[in-house]
Amino acid sequence: MKLAWIILSALCNVAIVLLVAPFFQGVLRKITALIQSRQGPPLWQPYFDLLKLLGKEDIESGQTPVMQRFAAYLSLTTVLTLACLMPMGFPAPLDGAGDAILVIYLLTLSGICTLLAGLAAGSTYSLVGTSREMMTMIALEPLLAVAIVTGAVHTGSFRLDTVLNGSVYASSGFPWSGAILLGVMLLSFQAFVQRVPFDISEAETELMEGPLMEYSGPKLALFKYAQMAKLVIYSALFVGLFVPWGSALPFPLSWLIFWAKVSGLVLLVTLVAATHARYRIDQAIRFFASLLVVALGALILASYGY
Amino acid sequence: MLEPRYLGCYQDHGGEGMTPEQSVIAAIVICIVGAVVTLLASRNKTVAGWLAFIFTTATAVVIISTVAHVLISGPGHQQEFPIIPQIGLVLRVYVDGLTAVFLLLAALISVPAALYSIAYMRNYEGYSVARYYPYFLLFLAAMYGLVSTTDMMWFFFIFWQMMTLPGYALIRFEHKNPSNIRAANKYLIMMQIACAATMIGAELLAVTGAAASGSAGLKYDFDTVSANLPAMLSTRPTATALAFALFLIGFGIKMGMWPFGQFWLPDAHPAAPSPVSAMLSGVMIKTGVYGLMRYFLWLVPPAGQADYPLAKWGLLVALLGTITLFTGTMQALKQEQTKRLLAFHSIGQIGYILLGTGVCMSLLPAMGPNAKALAAIGLFGALLHVLNHGLFKALLFLNAGSMLHATGTQDLNKMGGLMKFMPLTAVTAMVASFSISGVPLFNGFVSKWTIYVAAVQGTASAKYLAVFAVIAILTSALTLASFIKFFGVSFLSRSSTLVTARAAEHGRLEIGWSMQLPQVALALACVLLGVVPAIGFRLMQLALDASSQGYGTALAKAAPMQTGLWAGVETFQSTALFAPLVFALVLGLLFLVVRGLSKLGSASRRAAAPWLCGYVSEADCHRYSAHNFYGEIKRYFRWLGGMPKHVEGQRKDTK
Repeated sequence: MKLAWIILSALCNVAIVLLVAPFFQGVLRKITALIQSRQGPPLWQPYFDLLKLLGKEDIESGQTPVMQRFAAYLSLTTVLTLACLMPMGFPAPLDGAGDAILVIYLLTLSGICTLLAGLAAGSTYSLVGTSREMMTMIALEPLLAVAIVTGAVHTGSFRLDTVLNGSVYASSGFPWSGAILLGVMLLSFQAFVQRVPFDISEAETELMEGPLMEYSGPKLALFKYAQMAKLVIYSALFVGLFVPWGSALPFPLSWLIFWAKVSGLVLLVTLVAATHARYRIDQAIRFFASLLVVALGALILASYGY
Repeated sequence: MLEPRYLGCYQDHGGEGMTPEQSVIAAIVICIVGAVVTLLASRNKTVAGWLAFIFTTATAVVIISTVAHVLISGPGHQQEFPIIPQIGLVLRVYVDGLTAVFLLLAALISVPAALYSIAYMRNYEGYSVARYYPYFLLFLAAMYGLVSTTDMMWFFFIFWQMMTLPGYALIRFEHKNPSNIRAANKYLIMMQIACAATMIGAELLAVTGAAASGSAGLKYDFDTVSANLPAMLSTRPTATALAFALFLIGFGIKMGMWPFGQFWLPDAHPAAPSPVSAMLSGVMIKTGVYGLMRYFLWLVPPAGQADYPLAKWGLLVALLGTITLFTGTMQALKQEQTKRLLAFHSIGQIGYILLGTGVCMSLLPAMGPNAKALAAIGLFGALLHVLNHGLFKALLFLNAGSMLHATGTQDLNKMGGLMKFMPLTAVTAMVASFSISGVPLFNGFVSKWTIYVAAVQGTASAKYLAVFAVIAILTSALTLASFIKFFGVSFLSRSSTLVTARAAEHGRLEIGWSMQLPQVALALACVLLGVVPAIGFRLMQLALDASSQGYGTALAKAAPMQTGLWAGVETFQSTALFAPLVFALVLGLLFLVVRGLSKLGSASRRAAAPWLCGYVSEADCHRYSAHNFYGEIKRYFRWLGGMPKHVEGQRKDTK
């Protein structure tokens, strides 16, 4: 019975992420176009894009195509595994397979796939993109880690269902640390989902997609799909950590509220992306470093119970 | 034809009739006999190599059966071996659980290193192996001895020198290169300072004690000192604290702790031949960890624990660990030479072990909820990381050796596209890189996870631990960055001029089977411990159960982890868990689904050259090499030091 529920809810999460991710991408493109006074593609255009890419010729430019294939498959796989670990309107399906630390490292692993892809392709441009992507990851990962560790310090547990349930606010008095971290996360969220102004590693106009420059056909489809799904996963993570309200309601209601919150977050990401210009890598790193200092301050507050 | 001798060793020394202590002495004797035999046979490099391998394997069999015996049926008793009883020179040996862990590590790493040496050492034209294999075996014998003797003074000194002097000879093996001699001299000086510091510490505890009892030979014995310690702690707290500070400095130098490690370790590791680098980094620096754990956690008997400021030492060790892991890794990020990069990472990874030990020490005396159990988790993490770091770092040094063997250089800037030429080495290097960066399903993740869990949950009792944990997680991303560079620019990327030329010259670059086998075995061990962490945790629990001195009993009783094949590991209150097999199953199934998805459009595949924005071919000077990676981060942390001195010609290419 329990096993059946786990499989069912995991499948449900995977299916929804796969179905919804291109739609969010469509919304993103449409709204960006509207803000920039263009008409924009129809909402379902990303679905067509993915389908078309799946049938296109697959050109492998690297010396080790096996590595390129491995990286492409693994990137979407990791994101889908993350979908099984996230509570999305109901308890996390794979709560018994890992905890919040695993989530941090899995998010890193999905980044590693892009890096390996860029390195295996072997073009100078993709290597520049790889280096930038890695630097961004170095600066970003600790921010997420601070948020999760703060939750774990407050609740004394790393379990997914505990941590991803507004745990950052679980202090005894006013949740100072939670409030500060909410601000930090809002300021850096754009970078986690690799959108403007922090899409430095892709930088279409200067690096031509960075690590993914050499990719075409089904592999590009997988990378693009993974990137779209990452937006959903990170939104779910953000909602779980910082916007837990309504998750305790009965099933269909909690589920609807969850997806409403995720949609709201995607809308916010879109608005920021459409109205900002890209930062340089050094500006971005300095920005994240100052956020990290603030976040560490919040963590110290958290260890003293605030 | 050598088989009977090998069997003879086993039957003579490893049989049922021997106590664990006798077996360790037997292993040391086998090593010393092996040293003599390989010296006599050193005219023929291959024969000497195989002899050394056989002797090493024989000791490993003896040691592993001893370790199994101790872990399963508990420790034996302290045993005395009179060497020259007339002057009180009596070797006292004791094998308990903590010793067993380090003996196991030495045995597990030495066999692959010895096998790898056979083919590797043939490349050194103009250097005799008479100055390699005998020293290798003596070095191994000394490590077995150092972790088993209970003498804190004379036999400590003898084994320490027996480890240091052959180590010195091995580091300066390529003595025609003056920089290797400088590196070896640095190593020698630092080790002598460490030796002096530790011996002065022991002297302080033994001589100024309220009751400097015991016969001349046993005055410096671990048990005598331990028995005196409660009186010492209450009457002379300053002298005792000074002694412990000296232990921390002495063993800190040995293990490469900040700031001492930076003096010798990054020079010494790359100078030695690769299998020795693997032994230095995988095993030798761990003897410092052993000393730290043994003296800080096992020395103080329950009667003296009230006066012993363990929490303060814990804070110091955890702080030093955090500084060590950050500085070591950040300096490693700047390196462009394979083995130098790995050496700096040894400092970084020792930082994790120190942090785990520090967490344990600061939580043990704490009154907070579950502090004892969390302390035990911290020690589990540290001990597991000792084992895991031994495995993956030895593998990485062997990989670096294979790369050196194939390309003739340690310079990452000159490498590229090696995976096409040496696929098996590339896969093992990837496993090792993933392990050290803490990717789930590899062993490094398990031990880092354990340390994080202990540190974060221990924050309730010791406020500073959460910040240390976050710095450790941040450093893990730095480690990943460094190994993405290490693996990416050497095995992936595109073939450099050098690699293409070497491949054309030699026909093939992949190394022979006797160098492959150790790499593959170590890689499999990394995966096995990562996928079934229950093995590691059970081992450590058994090790703690089999050690009774000092805080050993308290730690063993905490038994904080539940383990199982499918259930993975789970902390005592189920507040953190990791079930790698379930996770691997889900990942594997989804991988197949995604692979199927990519085949849906039945797209055709074609190989083509990468697009170079209009240029026809790529010159070597336009390659994005190791030097170019992470420029911004390197610039921000320039003040931290460790910038590589530029090898001639390299700057000209890039500017």
